[in-house]
Amino acid sequence: MPNSIDVDDLRRRLLGAGYVADAGLATALACAVTLERAVLLEGDAGVGKTDAARALASVFGAQLLRLQCYEGLDLAAAAYDWNYGKQLLAIRAAEGSHEHTPDLYADEFLIRRPLLAALGASRPRGIVLLIDEIDRADDEFEAFLLEFLADFAISIPERGTVAAAHPPIVVLTSNRTRDLHDALKRRCFYHWIGHPSVEREIEILRLHLPAVTPELASDVARASAALRERELRKAPGISESIDWAQTLQLLGAERLGAEVFEPSLGSVLKYPEDIATALASASSIIASAGGDVV
Amino acid sequence: MTISDEAALAAGFDRALRGRGVVAGTRRARTFAEVLLVLPARTASELYWRARAAMLPSIDDLDAFHAAFLEVFGSLGDADALQRLVRTVDAPRREPRDLPKRESLPPPPSDRPADERAAERAPTQWILASSDHRLTDKAFEDFDETERAAMLRLIARVRVAAEYRASRRRRAQAHGDRFDFRGTLRGASRTAGELLRRRASARRERLRPIVFLLDVSGSMEPFARALLQYARVTAVARPAVRAFAFATTLTDLTPLLKRAGDDSLMSAIATSVRDYGGGTRIGAALRAFNNGFAQRGAARGGTVVILSDGWERDDPALVGTELLRLRRLARRIVWVNPHKRHAAYEPLARGMAAALPYLDAFLSGHSLRTLEAVADAIEGRIA
Repeated sequence: MPNSIDVDDLRRRLLGAGYVADAGLATALACAVTLERAVLLEGDAGVGKTDAARALASVFGAQLLRLQCYEGLDLAAAAYDWNYGKQLLAIRAAEGSHEHTPDLYADEFLIRRPLLAALGASRPRGIVLLIDEIDRADDEFEAFLLEFLADFAISIPERGTVAAAHPPIVVLTSNRTRDLHDALKRRCFYHWIGHPSVEREIEILRLHLPAVTPELASDVARASAALRERELRKAPGISESIDWAQTLQLLGAERLGAEVFEPSLGSVLKYPEDIATALASASSIIASAGGDVV
Repeated sequence: MTISDEAALAAGFDRALRGRGVVAGTRRARTFAEVLLVLPARTASELYWRARAAMLPSIDDLDAFHAAFLEVFGSLGDADALQRLVRTVDAPRREPRDLPKRESLPPPPSDRPADERAAERAPTQWILASSDHRLTDKAFEDFDETERAAMLRLIARVRVAAEYRASRRRRAQAHGDRFDFRGTLRGASRTAGELLRRRASARRERLRPIVFLLDVSGSMEPFARALLQYARVTAVARPAVRAFAFATTLTDLTPLLKRAGDDSLMSAIATSVRDYGGGTRIGAALRAFNNGFAQRGAARGGTVVILSDGWERDDPALVGTELLRLRRLARRIVWVNPHKRHAAYEPLARGMAAALPYLDAFLSGHSLRTLEAVADAIEGRIA
């Protein structure tokens, strides 16, 4: 097993890669990397689950392989497939020149999809495999992942088992549209990413948008926090508040005032009912935003 | 600390979690021990986060996790400091789902003396044999205690609703609609590269989800019990079934559906629903379901069965708004209102009147026979 990762050190390096992680997330990631086990990140949409994997890849200088899940995702799309056209041509060519039938399952005919490619790291921690929105995949795919996550190996009937010399760092994310099987969760470290505190959100906004003034970042973070307290269909995540701050900056605003509140609302709330709710209490949201800069 | 210390600590913590109804399991405990070994915790806070990453099965279990953490590690160090730590951690903003606690369930039926169980069963079977036909059309609220036990068993004979849709997943089928390159070529390798047999695949089928939303307030109670039993039977027979109870707030009963091993558990489910027997806020419950579940995909492509008499305590307009929304999220909405069995019934309850334009089926579902009609309506076959 490669050397262990210090939690605080990882946190600092994630920050260097542009990702603000709290102690819990940093611990879960450090445990997963050190023990070579997958980590499952759950949380509402837009709280930075996918970005955590990106930042992790950049910290270790690793290649990021992303697998977006959907219903019906099968081995041919997730793990490997054979290049049938090439196989057929090889058969025809062998017929024409009266040679032996070639090995149809040689490397040249194999198409490596993300899961198989993730087993091919040339050094420890050389690949980060992001299995995104696993809750969208179906039970069959989850069941297949059990074998993959336990052994970091894939059995190809025509070839035998392919095992990883250096296991990839595996990050699974879920929006929790359904509960995952416990068999899968047991094989992973688990962390729930909640909405950030105001201070952390300001830090994130400033990190992502260096051009945004501290005042505006503080206003947006506070206003987002105020929005989350209201009963909305979809409370804004961090990615929405980043969009919001960027929109306000494009509108030339230096603070979040009444004149830019309504025009920019479409960047942070995506339901007409939610926008109506926010407009109804616009003045109190703007007032809670306009506090002193932290 | 030696290896066995860490293992003992992890095992002890697993035990404490189990005592609070959270089953983390040996695999997680082993992982936790390994974590402590490679990444030793120097402070209480480090220990807390290591424990949480390795041992917490779901954010819903956080309260039990905190209690177990204090119990196990409180004795090791400064208990007050740990208490403060648990209180100050960056807790998730989203409220954990409001689930009935597992420890509130009675012990499994096998723990009770055998003669007690036999005594309970004997008269039931007698009724079942002699009066099936009499019970078929009887309204659930008119059943007495002994008949009710028989009724719960008879519900198990009601047809399980199952509607399928084409899945994105495929399976081998000789006359399927898509040519299977891989299978054909694999077959060819057995016949010296000669493509003798055409292989093809067809789409598999998947069950459409069913969601039961049951009004458990006052007069609806006997009907909610019956429909909940039907939900249970359905959930055991097939996947993708969820059930919720509501009166003033919405409670997810899904985790209990399959765990219930005996009919007596029906009452446990009933008592564990906190607001059982209170007033009804249908619109608010529908909104909670839409926001928390339907919008995230719980009802997509499926049927939502709502049991309620439509007596809304708050603004009935909200019932209409939320049903309109639900209509866009679900495939079909079936409303079950037992009052509809009376010939003179008119939808006078304001919540009911607001709901009617958005329903695909409106049924009484008050007896075993009409429950069959509910099963038909779930599949879209409406008499």
